[in-house]
Amino acid sequence: MTRVTRRGESSSSLDELIEALRCLPGVGPKSAQRMAYHLLQRDRRGAERLAHGLETALQRLRHCTRCNNFSEADVCDRCTSQRRDPTLLCIVEMPVDAISMEQTHAFNGLYYVLMGRLSPLDGIGPKELAFERLFARAADGVVKEVILATNFTNEGEATAHYLSELLHARGLKVSRIARGLPVGGELEFTDAATVAQAFLDRRDFT
Amino acid sequence: MSGKQRIDAEPAYVLHLHPYSETSLVVDVFSRCHGRVPLLARGARRPRSAMRGTLMAFQPLELGWFGSGEVKTLAKAEWMGGVPLLTGRCLLLGYYLNELLMKMLPREDAHPALYDAYGEALMALAQGSADAPELRRFEKTLLKELGYGLTLDVDADSGAPIATEAQYCYLVERGPVAKVDAGDTPMLSGKTLLDMAADDYTDPRTRQQSKQLMRQLIAHHMGGKPLHSRRVFVELQEL
Ligand SMILES: [Zn+2]
Repeated sequence: MTRVTRRGESSSSLDELIEALRCLPGVGPKSAQRMAYHLLQRDRRGAERLAHGLETALQRLRHCTRCNNFSEADVCDRCTSQRRDPTLLCIVEMPVDAISMEQTHAFNGLYYVLMGRLSPLDGIGPKELAFERLFARAADGVVKEVILATNFTNEGEATAHYLSELLHARGLKVSRIARGLPVGGELEFTDAATVAQAFLDRRDFT
Repeated sequence: MSGKQRIDAEPAYVLHLHPYSETSLVVDVFSRCHGRVPLLARGARRPRSAMRGTLMAFQPLELGWFGSGEVKTLAKAEWMGGVPLLTGRCLLLGYYLNELLMKMLPREDAHPALYDAYGEALMALAQGSADAPELRRFEKTLLKELGYGLTLDVDADSGAPIATEAQYCYLVERGPVAKVDAGDTPMLSGKTLLDMAADDYTDPRTRQQSKQLMRQLIAHHMGGKPLHSRRVFVELQEL
């Protein structure tokens, strides 16, 4: 359908593009307009690559049936790797969290990506996060320990708490990553909330 | 409360955070003297933001803000401490309190008494008490502050004082009436009503019946709007 603007010109595809760009987080009508003009006027090749990239990603990417992360195959490369320890399963909220864990070189097990967290105020509960799929994955008979690496926000803590209870009830060993001061962190420059929690979570030291 | 304002060191709690852009947040805040206010926290989503760890729900804060529009700009956030982080069931109940405030309280309406009742309920939850009298007191204060105060001492029909041993049903927007045939309205003992008036929740039956009454009244005053936090809570118990 062609929309006629006040000046009388028809620009339906431009309007549509601007409207489409607004689905990006934090992009309002003004920045969407800027982006659209930039792509069309100054960087048509970039625009083509963007369109192509989006289309192929949408076509090819699905969720790995083992870890729930994005994957082009039914089961992703990491989940089929012989070099990973399949007895350890680390649960993270988002794909970027798995990337952060990988950068530590401290973990060689497998992941499960929740693609979110419990967020009662936003109506995100166990059904929206497909907890049942995670339970089926963790109870494959190979996993011995589940490591909860959800964020230390209220939502991440709620998620960790309920997953811990429910996975324990299914006979699994469950652990939670520790929280405290960052490495190299100085008390003087750390926020009070972090220091308070590090104090409460203190442990024996010999 | 329009016009330019600058607020300093105002006791407040964060009710909810929404991402606003790649780097900023809109914080729904419940403050003691200015009620519920949305504040824009610029840069609070940046990795090294000093505000990032401070803007936590269920924690007493002192906030400073300025601005004249509907959404003010957060200038300062100070962590007051003293309340342990909520965990487990109690954390879920905390979300329930926040959802009630977000859905029932109009913006920029000061309710210091409700603020104090909220703080006490949070403290009880932080200490792991999921069935605390403070929760009922919070709900009671919430309804009262919104102008839906409960009648707990007299029969709304006859005006007679409530009798401990008698059975009543509570009619929304009227009060308790001694009546046997009340359809699906749950029955309450006179003692429950008098206990609630006195904020005495030691009797297990009072605890159970008052919880049910509050649920019924809140559902009515929410006008059919669903409570997400309750649904999620129930779903988690069912797993
Ligand atoms: Zn996988």
